[in-house]
Amino acid sequence: MFRNWIYLFFFLLFGCIDPFPVEVPEGEQLLTVEGLIHSGPGPHTIVLSRSATYGSDLQSLIRPVVGATVIVRSEDGEVTFLSEREGVRGAYFTPTGWRAQIGKAYTLFIETPDGGLFSSLPERVESVPEIQSLGIRTVTIPQPGGGPERSGVQIIADIIDPADQNNFYFWRLGAANYILETRPELYTTPAPDRTPAPKDCCAVCYRADIPNNRGVFIAVDDDFNGLSTRIPVGFVEDDGLRFVNKYRVDVKQYSISQNAYRFLRLVKQQAEISGSIFDPPPANIRGNMISLNNPDEVVLGYFMAAGEASRRIYIDQAELTFKQNRAIIPDDCRVVPNATIDPPFDWNPNE
Amino acid sequence: MMKKLLLLIFLFSGFATLAQQTTPPPKRQVVGRDIGQLKGIRISGRIIDEITGEALVGATITVPELDLTRITDTNGFFELVLDRAEYNLTFRYVGYETVDYPITAVGDGRISIRMIQEDFQLDDVVIYGRDPEKNIRSTDMGAVTLSMNTMRELPPFFGEVDIVRSLATLPGVSQVGEASSGLNVRGGGVDQNLIQFGGAPIYNPSHMFGLFTAFNPDVVNDVTLYKAVVPARFGGRSSAILDIVPKAGSVDKWGVDLMAGTYTGKVSVNGPLIKDKVSILGGFRISYINWLLQTLTDPVLNNSNANFYDGNLVISAPISENNEFMYSYYTSYDDFAFASDTTISWKNTAHSLQWKSKFSEKLSMEALGFYSGYNFGVFNRSGINDFQINSDILDMGGKLFLTYSFSPTNKITFGGEYKQLEIQPGELIPGEQGEVLPRKVQNEFGREMAGHFQHEFELGEKLGFSYGLRYDFYQYLGARSVRQYAENQPISDGSAIGEINYSDGEVIQSYDGFGPRASIRYSFNKSTSIKAGYNKMYQFIHLISNTATIAPFDLWKLSDNYLKPQIADQYSLGFYKNFKGNIFETSIEIYYKDLQNVVEYKDGANLIVRNHIETELVPAQGQAYGAELYIKKNLGRLTGWISYTYSRALRRVITPYEEENINDGEWYASNFDKPNDLTVIGNYKVSTNTSISATVAYSTGRPVTFPQAKFDYSGNSLAYFDNRNQDRMPDFFRIDFATNFKLKGSGKFFEGDWTFSVLNVLGRKNPYSIFFGDAPGLPPQSLRLALLGVPLPSLSYAIKF
Repeated sequence: MFRNWIYLFFFLLFGCIDPFPVEVPEGEQLLTVEGLIHSGPGPHTIVLSRSATYGSDLQSLIRPVVGATVIVRSEDGEVTFLSEREGVRGAYFTPTGWRAQIGKAYTLFIETPDGGLFSSLPERVESVPEIQSLGIRTVTIPQPGGGPERSGVQIIADIIDPADQNNFYFWRLGAANYILETRPELYTTPAPDRTPAPKDCCAVCYRADIPNNRGVFIAVDDDFNGLSTRIPVGFVEDDGLRFVNKYRVDVKQYSISQNAYRFLRLVKQQAEISGSIFDPPPANIRGNMISLNNPDEVVLGYFMAAGEASRRIYIDQAELTFKQNRAIIPDDCRVVPNATIDPPFDWNPNE
Repeated sequence: MMKKLLLLIFLFSGFATLAQQTTPPPKRQVVGRDIGQLKGIRISGRIIDEITGEALVGATITVPELDLTRITDTNGFFELVLDRAEYNLTFRYVGYETVDYPITAVGDGRISIRMIQEDFQLDDVVIYGRDPEKNIRSTDMGAVTLSMNTMRELPPFFGEVDIVRSLATLPGVSQVGEASSGLNVRGGGVDQNLIQFGGAPIYNPSHMFGLFTAFNPDVVNDVTLYKAVVPARFGGRSSAILDIVPKAGSVDKWGVDLMAGTYTGKVSVNGPLIKDKVSILGGFRISYINWLLQTLTDPVLNNSNANFYDGNLVISAPISENNEFMYSYYTSYDDFAFASDTTISWKNTAHSLQWKSKFSEKLSMEALGFYSGYNFGVFNRSGINDFQINSDILDMGGKLFLTYSFSPTNKITFGGEYKQLEIQPGELIPGEQGEVLPRKVQNEFGREMAGHFQHEFELGEKLGFSYGLRYDFYQYLGARSVRQYAENQPISDGSAIGEINYSDGEVIQSYDGFGPRASIRYSFNKSTSIKAGYNKMYQFIHLISNTATIAPFDLWKLSDNYLKPQIADQYSLGFYKNFKGNIFETSIEIYYKDLQNVVEYKDGANLIVRNHIETELVPAQGQAYGAELYIKKNLGRLTGWISYTYSRALRRVITPYEEENINDGEWYASNFDKPNDLTVIGNYKVSTNTSISATVAYSTGRPVTFPQAKFDYSGNSLAYFDNRNQDRMPDFFRIDFATNFKLKGSGKFFEGDWTFSVLNVLGRKNPYSIFFGDAPGLPPQSLRLALLGVPLPSLSYAIKF
């Protein structure tokens, strides 16, 4: 009983968070720009959408903006048109083979189908140091109330920061693949029969994974200017499948501008808001896009231009110090979406 | 609503039953050796507690024949100068039975008064401050003294008297939320109050982020809050002064107080070091939350810790009737981690030495030296890039003032003070394996000096005046390199054009200003008066906090080239009336306050370990106004008060640069703007040993910013916020209840006290904050953080021997 009191006491202070509908103003349909062009291989994407009312009702879906004209112009006048692709609404891609060049400033122009003209402020592509090496660290996330712990792998990059410039870093996880192990021998016929019908094949596949880049990994070199340092650059949650054998992921390191860094810091701050009593107050996240028709119109999001460095890591299950219970798929691994029996052409865990 | 009504009815019905007190008329005493003296007869005396022998500090002596009132000093002494005549002296002290003491003064002499606590005699409770008519008769405006006895009548918070929370029940005083340290006084920020303990400033008066106040009530004698016209001898903060006076130990005999509560335990010991000359009082309070946490199996809680303690030492030496020294030491410490690798710790330390001397009947002096320190640390031991951030404040100085009384109703006070401040705003120290660079923000140095003068006098019975002037002078000192910014551009990293280096002790920037104070009182009769007042205050130190409450890791920053001193002008007007022989005390006060150079923050300001913090700040104007209604029942089986405040606390940011304006340069509500604020407190003495008390608190929900839209970025659903503080949280409403049983021990040397209290009886989930989150597995939505969202019981047992 007494323990429960103390327990209560703590959750009074920190844990008592519940949904609490409030009447929010009807959201304006503001143009939102999410885009990053960089010096790495493309295609690079600019995603356009319209904001909606804050809230969970389905009436307020964020809608993609299709049929816009999207242009990136370099400071020396080179103009590149971005085009839409079948099946990905609201995303505009650079032509194959196009890359941003280090040292040049780029500006994004958009004309929406309703005649709105928008421009970004120029963003300069800064050079980016290489990732020296990548390592991992197992992270466990205790759940309040003693529920099963979540866990995963934090990826840590070793970088040598150049001393002669103020660097602002941004990391994202690129393409990932892992060895998927299933149990075809446990296959049963579908309900209602559920009679065992073991399959001979296949227990091992290679599955393409789309890393979740919700966490915002950024850093500024104030604390390590000119030094070699280790920084967490990404997180992959252990879902009971990914870390059964081997997992591979590409880490992309970008050198962004100071203003882009400030923007992402606010995004990170909002994404990580915990409701604690010391949360900072809501901040207006200002981007670098302006409306050319109406200077007072708010445009959300940010157009970034950056240098890119990329490095690949293979993570062996034995490196994890804590693992989730293995998830059992009692079927041929090939039935799992994005899984094939053939390894990716460049699969080479010993590289 | 129904429950509120019932409580009100309950409270008012009690007002009708007034206890009568009958005692036989006391015998007139002849005082002094009769040598035929006619005038200038000096009668000195001392008032002590009949049971404990402790001196009663701040007890009042009234001489109705001369319309004269005196107050005992920190050792219970007082002195009267009378003509040869008969007088009907009255001695009063909070919580004690009034003593009528008729005398015939025939020569110099001494009297000794032993007062008896009401508890032992009556079923009544008395909650007036020192002097029941003071609210009417003095020229003080907005000065409220709460004695510990008064505060003990409130429902306790987690089983204990809580000084800050007790003050928040008064009109014009509020708190941001349920776990917030500090007070908002008449539309001022928490940093605009000078909180001093024994004369030394305290920077973070809270434990566990404000859930507990970091002052042990057992070592406090009384607390005075000046919220309107602040006497000229106080300054340095722009809104209010909270003066906490420690209690002196007994010079007569040893005593011990012990208390065990649900979350904390405390002990205090006091007694004579040298009998009748030097007393000592030591108090220590510690939480055992941490020890309890370690016994839990839940991984989140097991990974957490929450330690705190506070300690006090008071040595009081009334070495003669005219000279008295008091040394006070105070410390409080907290460390806290909640299921993480990051520990936050903070610590206050304060020493003060006070000397009060009476040179003659008319001239007295008070001198004080103090040293106060505050530091916090954030320790990260995540195993990767471990670091630690430290920050300290050092504040030391001295004050001296003299009081000259031309007559009992005409006195002047004048003096000066000096203090030196040093702030280390933040130092980042890498851990052993850490690959981060050490980083240190430049130390700040400053000096504050002030001279002050105040004259209080009465013109007949009806008119009283008090006027004063304080001159504040402040210097911001080197060594420091100060960044320069291009003219006609907003201050930002981008507009920096170079640095100027200042050497050790070199003056970088000075500010000064005159702060007049004035108040006038007109009494219609003995129980009715009106008062008007004005004062101006300067503040050279600012709390740099981007949260609504004081966080332990908030920085204090001195005024510099870019951050100008805060200036507050306050006008107030009040009407005061007591009824039924001071049993009921009522007042209505209105005020208007104008604030300049309040610190506001640019959107998403980053304040941690930053060298050029001026790039994140913008100066704001403030405006606050309100009306405060106060009805208090001082005496009877039912005591308590109703306080209602209507007020606004607004901010406005207009800069030469449109992009730096907040809310387009319009007035907006500050984080603690709560227009309607009602508190009803009742304490009912069921029997000699049992009392029950309840507090009902209602206020308008505080301002909050709702998103204008949602948008997607980087896989996160984000909220787009436009103008600040345009919406409101739901109204706040809470009822607390407590019951207290006194166990009388055998005879005079033992007594026990059981207190059972329930916070938030209705279990209402008052939102502390509303925020907008996009947690995995849930749609992006508005969420509520409710602290104390269930009825929270606690039990404590205190004994005294």
